[in-house]
Amino acid sequence: MKFSSDEIASVLQQEIENFDSKIDVREVGTVLEVGDGIARVYGLSGVMAGEMVEFPNGAIGLAFNLEENSVGVIILGDYLTIKEGDEVKALGTLLSVPAGDAVVGRVLDPLGNPLDGKGPVQTDSTRPVEIIATGVAERQPVTEPMQTGIKAIDAMTPIGRGQRELIIGDRKTGKTAIAIDAILNQKGKGVKCFYIAIGQKDSSVASVVDVLEKYGAMEYTTVITAGASSPAPLQYMAPYAGTAMAEYFMFGGGHALVVYDDLSKQATAYRQMSLLMRRPPGREAFPGDVFYCHSRLLERSSKLSDELGGGSITSLPIIETLEGEVSAYIPTNVISITDGQIYVQPDLFFSGVRPAMNPGISVSRVGGAAQIKAMKKVAGGLRLDLAAFRALEAFAQLGTDLDPATQAQLDRGYRMVELLKQPQYQPLSVAEQVVSLYAGTKGFLDDVEIKQVQQWEKDFLQFVNDKHGGLLTEMTESGALSDEIVEKIESVIADFKAGYKPAE
Amino acid sequence: MGGETMETPEEPRHESVMDTGAEQLGKTYAQALLGAASKAGLTDKVVDQLNQLVDQVLSRNEGLAAAFASPRIDEEEKCRVIDRLFADSYDPMLVRFLKVMASRGRLGQLAAVREGVLALYDELSGQVLAKVSTAVPLDETLRSKIAERLGQTLGKKVRLQEVVDESLIGGMVVRVGDTVFDNSVSGRLNAVAKRARDGFSSRLSEKFEQLSQ
Repeated sequence: MKFSSDEIASVLQQEIENFDSKIDVREVGTVLEVGDGIARVYGLSGVMAGEMVEFPNGAIGLAFNLEENSVGVIILGDYLTIKEGDEVKALGTLLSVPAGDAVVGRVLDPLGNPLDGKGPVQTDSTRPVEIIATGVAERQPVTEPMQTGIKAIDAMTPIGRGQRELIIGDRKTGKTAIAIDAILNQKGKGVKCFYIAIGQKDSSVASVVDVLEKYGAMEYTTVITAGASSPAPLQYMAPYAGTAMAEYFMFGGGHALVVYDDLSKQATAYRQMSLLMRRPPGREAFPGDVFYCHSRLLERSSKLSDELGGGSITSLPIIETLEGEVSAYIPTNVISITDGQIYVQPDLFFSGVRPAMNPGISVSRVGGAAQIKAMKKVAGGLRLDLAAFRALEAFAQLGTDLDPATQAQLDRGYRMVELLKQPQYQPLSVAEQVVSLYAGTKGFLDDVEIKQVQQWEKDFLQFVNDKHGGLLTEMTESGALSDEIVEKIESVIADFKAGYKPAE
Repeated sequence: MGGETMETPEEPRHESVMDTGAEQLGKTYAQALLGAASKAGLTDKVVDQLNQLVDQVLSRNEGLAAAFASPRIDEEEKCRVIDRLFADSYDPMLVRFLKVMASRGRLGQLAAVREGVLALYDELSGQVLAKVSTAVPLDETLRSKIAERLGQTLGKKVRLQEVVDESLIGGMVVRVGDTVFDNSVSGRLNAVAKRARDGFSSRLSEKFEQLSQ
């Protein structure tokens, strides 16, 4: 590729001709000390909390601590080339990030700088990173479902558009997998997705991006990442920056899904900054306002009123627990902020129940309001049935002889557990979930071997899609489970079972 | 108090390590000193003498400054030194003030107190310190012009502190408090460069087709 030097010269000439020589007036300070991503600055007497400042090397900082004699600045960028005595310039604005359609499909850092080698984000619209969430009058209740495509979640802990549903569990229990499946399932549904990686290994983020690209999800997804090697201030800002980008779509009447992976690392980054700034440590050495740090973030997920366009941000914050300790400081905080939690457990995960959700302690406080009628009908008793099954299972392990009714209940339970397993990256449409769960709850699987259940379901859904696609469309459109549809489902199941021979 | 100390380019471009604790302390002592001085109607005299003490005596006698700062020399000894050296030449109030500082072990912070006194004195007398950096030394007419013009704009009497900085190339940079008015050639060149860079990259992506052949 060759550039024409004449053209370049003319562009440069225009820039110089248009240059408006005004006296540059700026409020300045002097760096007293710098290190660990923060700087103490003398001067800047008129700076306001949260205002942007600029260092001579071009790095942007935020006025974080306003003290009597100095200003504590968090540095969002390279702090290694900042020296004592450097002049710091106040920019008089709040931090903002690029927003709009230009960010979709990109991998960005929390300031909106590209990390995917596709050049700068070309957009004129920006949004401030920190805003106060919309108030009561600007919202409406959550009623529209946000399908994750995962049977266990959509049936038992349904998520609505505008809800905050926490995914909590130990490391390596498939928390990210649930969130990624939810993103994959938004394909063609007009929901913009934001995957915000905080303190993750860059290799994990790369593999997430790879998966999203492979399944065509990058067309509607933005990845914002502040990796494990990013300075703490960037990790702290990342969720706010991602939410600001999502808000562009929400206030435009659209829908967005934001995954914060994960907020415990953000809290750790915030703790580091606060301790370096000499803010007093509290429980687990977190600063006193770590609750506010998360609450003001998650409060920005909302379902707007119709007057404001009815847009929404659904958020899936992720919290990593240590050894299942949900009563630690950050997990309890975030549990109390969110509208429910999906609790994933290692023992379930390793026994092959994937997603490893524990339905007994997972809840969604929005509940049935965020389900279509058909799903409400088939999934109504599912949680209780599973809980009863778990109790019975424990009892049955004692080796007692069981009466036939109890044995039948136990057998049904095993099959339901099997049916709720779902491979990664294979989200199901809500109609598919309903027919599949209908078959399970109504006992059509009782004569299928437990080990064959997953294969049976797969073949069955294939059969329904191939031969009775009309039924699925009808269910998606009506959303209800009328007698007529029930009849059709039952005849389809009978039809399938008549010709089905399990593979050996 | 017209053109004050002339900084030379060899000195560091910034006031080196700033001790905000000392600054706080200096402010407090300065307030006390100025309060007492204005009550006695001796403000100008005391400020002048304090300036002289710091600029001419202490900065030229490192031994004395070290002795003032040293905790190993006790209060009585320090008071004796103060009496012998300053009792004749300085106002009794300033001497008493020095003794008070000695009794509290703060004599080492005299420079910080002076800074505090200057700042407070400026505030009280409606003056303001403007630091003017230029590429070439100012002459008398320019100096008075700048002072007059700044005084009009700021509505205060302006004290000029002049710095010669060849890297500015031309024009001048005025700093009043924490506000910098930059109309230097180097500042403008940097701004043009930044603008051309930003503008160029956006134009480049806009008409990529046109620019490449």
